[in-house]
Amino acid sequence: MQQNHTQLADDSYFAAVTNAIRTETTKLLSEGTVAAVIGYQAGTRAGTVIPTIITDAAKAGDLVFSPGCVNNLALYLTKAKKEVRPAGKVAIIAKGCDMRALAGLLGESQLKREELHIIGVACVGVKGAGAGSGEALTTGTIARKCRECTVRAPEGADVVVGAVPPLPEFSPVEAEELARLEAMTPAERWAFWKGHFSRCIRCMACRQVCPFCYCEQCLCDRNRPQALETTPRPAGNMAWHIVRAMHLAGRCAGCTECERACPMDIPLNLLNRKMARELKTLYDFEAGLVPVEKGPLTEYREEDDQSFIK
Amino acid sequence: MSRIGVFVCHCGENISRTVDVERVAAYAAQLPGVAYATDYKYMCSDPGQNLLKKAVAEHQLTGIVVAACSPRMHEKTFRKAAQAAGLNPFMCDMANIREHCSWVHENRDEATAKASDIVRLMVERVKRGKVLEPITVPVTKRSLVIGGGIAGIQAALDIADAGHQVVLVEREPSIGGHMAQLSETFPTLDCSQCIMTPKMVDAANHPNITLYSWSEIESIDGYIGNFSVTIRRKARSVDEDKCTGCGVCMAKCPQKKIPNVFDRNLGLRTAIYVPFPQAVPNTPVIDREHCLKFKTGKCGLCAKACGPQAIDFEQQDQLVTEPVGAIVVATGFDLYSIDRKPEGSSIEGYGEFGYGTIPDVIDGLTFERLASASGPTGGKILRPSDGKEPKQVVFIQCVGSRAREKGISYCSKICCMYTAKHTMLYHHKVHDGRAYVFYMDARTPGKCYDEFWRRAVEEEEAVYIRGMVSRLYQRGDKVVVMGSDTLVGVQVEIEADLVVLATAVQAQPNADSLAQKLGISYDKYNFYSEAHAKLRPVECATAGIYLAGACQGPKDIPDTVSQASAAAAKVMTLFAKDQLEREPIVARVNERNCVGCFACRKVCPYGAIEEKEIRDRQGNLIRTVAHVNPGVCGGCGTCQATCPSKSVELDGYTDEQIVAMIEAL
Repeated sequence: MQQNHTQLADDSYFAAVTNAIRTETTKLLSEGTVAAVIGYQAGTRAGTVIPTIITDAAKAGDLVFSPGCVNNLALYLTKAKKEVRPAGKVAIIAKGCDMRALAGLLGESQLKREELHIIGVACVGVKGAGAGSGEALTTGTIARKCRECTVRAPEGADVVVGAVPPLPEFSPVEAEELARLEAMTPAERWAFWKGHFSRCIRCMACRQVCPFCYCEQCLCDRNRPQALETTPRPAGNMAWHIVRAMHLAGRCAGCTECERACPMDIPLNLLNRKMARELKTLYDFEAGLVPVEKGPLTEYREEDDQSFIK
Repeated sequence: MSRIGVFVCHCGENISRTVDVERVAAYAAQLPGVAYATDYKYMCSDPGQNLLKKAVAEHQLTGIVVAACSPRMHEKTFRKAAQAAGLNPFMCDMANIREHCSWVHENRDEATAKASDIVRLMVERVKRGKVLEPITVPVTKRSLVIGGGIAGIQAALDIADAGHQVVLVEREPSIGGHMAQLSETFPTLDCSQCIMTPKMVDAANHPNITLYSWSEIESIDGYIGNFSVTIRRKARSVDEDKCTGCGVCMAKCPQKKIPNVFDRNLGLRTAIYVPFPQAVPNTPVIDREHCLKFKTGKCGLCAKACGPQAIDFEQQDQLVTEPVGAIVVATGFDLYSIDRKPEGSSIEGYGEFGYGTIPDVIDGLTFERLASASGPTGGKILRPSDGKEPKQVVFIQCVGSRAREKGISYCSKICCMYTAKHTMLYHHKVHDGRAYVFYMDARTPGKCYDEFWRRAVEEEEAVYIRGMVSRLYQRGDKVVVMGSDTLVGVQVEIEADLVVLATAVQAQPNADSLAQKLGISYDKYNFYSEAHAKLRPVECATAGIYLAGACQGPKDIPDTVSQASAAAAKVMTLFAKDQLEREPIVARVNERNCVGCFACRKVCPYGAIEEKEIRDRQGNLIRTVAHVNPGVCGGCGTCQATCPSKSVELDGYTDEQIVAMIEAL
């Protein structure tokens, strides 16, 4: 199969980005501009990465950037992860898509821009699910979300590293999937989601990995009154996933981390994208392009669609 | 352990006709947590309330559910009774089995079952109720009055005479409103200017009144007792402090042929002008649209002529902010030009009456200017087209009003009386003239009103024709009026020299946008809504805002003045207290769970959400959370519905209470 796919960027691109990140990190930490840098370091298996927080300029050489850098590091800036978030000003490695999460968190009073130094990465794309750790980034192994990426060059970063080489046209996969969903009748769609959600084991990985699930106590952990059933049963599962979709509507940055973290392969991001489509249609709103004071669901405008009032 | 008392009311037969109240009481008695249940014919009556108080003592009740009418009706009554019996008033709640049940159902068994359900739900809610203490907020004893017509002036004078500061805001260059435009007033025919102008002067000179003329309301924040009003003082181009009102500027102004709106465009004015000679304040305004200095940059004759150098071409709009505790809205009315369908309006035009196309078809207010001694004709009735004295005048009533098919179904109330007055004024001024009135009904309720109308018909020779006019058209210099006399049953055709239309009284064109700034409600005609049509006719549903005059609905002068004084009395009642007690139904933030996303602040319509910093003992900032200012919170619960982590709840409507009610259903 692989010989039919073209490699998207040679090693020199990733090496250049890695070097630029290391240089920037050394500068920031040694000059004391920031107290820490949140980035990626090599994982135990070749080709994999794990998120890391560097506070010592001497450790800057640990940082890497590779096609395996799928994680949305904005997660580590949230209150839900306050035990790992270092005090003081922090630098963060952010791909274009990660910038959306940062913009959302800024708009929701979770971050202060002046406490943030954003090292933007001009990104070719990262590898998707199913790609082996040793495989190169090709038209075949690239993540589905990256095929339809519109934010390869991050905007609003303090510094941007790397330069995106010319890329081929990708055939959309996510858009087709969404079209298939939208073509279903309501009954079919209900059956589709019921089938998926009934498999949910309520491990809450989707919540833990989501940069927007930053509540220190999630409402599904509340018991007086209990808002949601906690055991994995179809009805409670459906309720949880509806709550999740609604809470993320107009906020989800589309990083697809929920879908990546889900051990049951529930197409969570499909639901998120469907909600995003609804917001785009109803309110001409797209989450995360710029930090907004009010999202469409917390604001009333006279021109808002009111056809649902019958 | 809760000991709830349930009191089921028959409401005479209002409830017991369809709901078996005894069965509901018996059902309630066996509910867990209910210590006592009974029914009574009129629970709100004195014996009914005593029954409740006695039961609290006898059965050591901890909470009360009164199954009766809407809480809007009697919640206060029963909470007071509960308080008198030694309970916290907020441990008493209403189960609405009248509006929500007996009044809307017919089947007795089903209605009884539903009433039992409603009672059960409310028992669950009261069981989880919390003792709440009233919130006190300070009262700023200053009042804002919006509109400087007779309503606003009267309200302002009354409040100021009681010793409170008043800020009076008028949109036009002068106060006086429509009453200053009138000639003589019914039913006594005293000169409007003669009774109005002294009041205008009183208002302007009153030590407790700050007058902002040529000003508009920009925005309003806050709540009863604590409003903050931002007023836009439009650039007058004349320094009010320096101007002596000598009028030399107006004499020098070369732009002399601008139609004067105050005279319904019959008279002319200069570009620097006061709308009428008795204007208060007597400070001119430069109409920048017509002023040569503003249009071409050349002129400035007024500035050269002005002794005290009061002309200021550079003047800008200024925003001033005034703290006030109460607001009286007295923005008055407008007469609509219903010659054609106004854009965006649901009201149909009256093209068949020729208004706007035939020059000698005028409206009632224009006739007032013709009849006014200070008007463009010096009080002579002269028709607009050729300045001749009309010998036959046709008055048409109900033009626009009471015409459901045209879009207005209400009666404009003042037209019957002012048309009768017009015929008299005409008769007094043109002795050989003849006045005809087409009318549907003569509506003359009011002290000395019917006598006044009879006088017009019987002594002042007005010819009243019962019927409507179908068409008007110009024939030579005459206006031919074709109509029917329905009492005689014949078609009538009159060659008139002048036609006066009693056009509908409507709300001010921008009444809705002011209402939105104030947060008050208005009806489909944009008239402002009172809190209760009968029992609270001068209060808005929004606390601390009161209504005076025709902004609420068509009104004549006596009614307007009465309502203005009533509104002033309400303001004084509010100002009689230093602290205001508010219901403690306000939101409260669980600071341990709040992550400070401030979604609540984004949706709060009252601006009640503040940031609160939580610090450790060393003073280090640990977190920033939302905090509800209980004085500002309106208790709507929108924050509660929005909060993603359920960290904010409305006292009296906690999630625990609401979920318990749902689970009990």
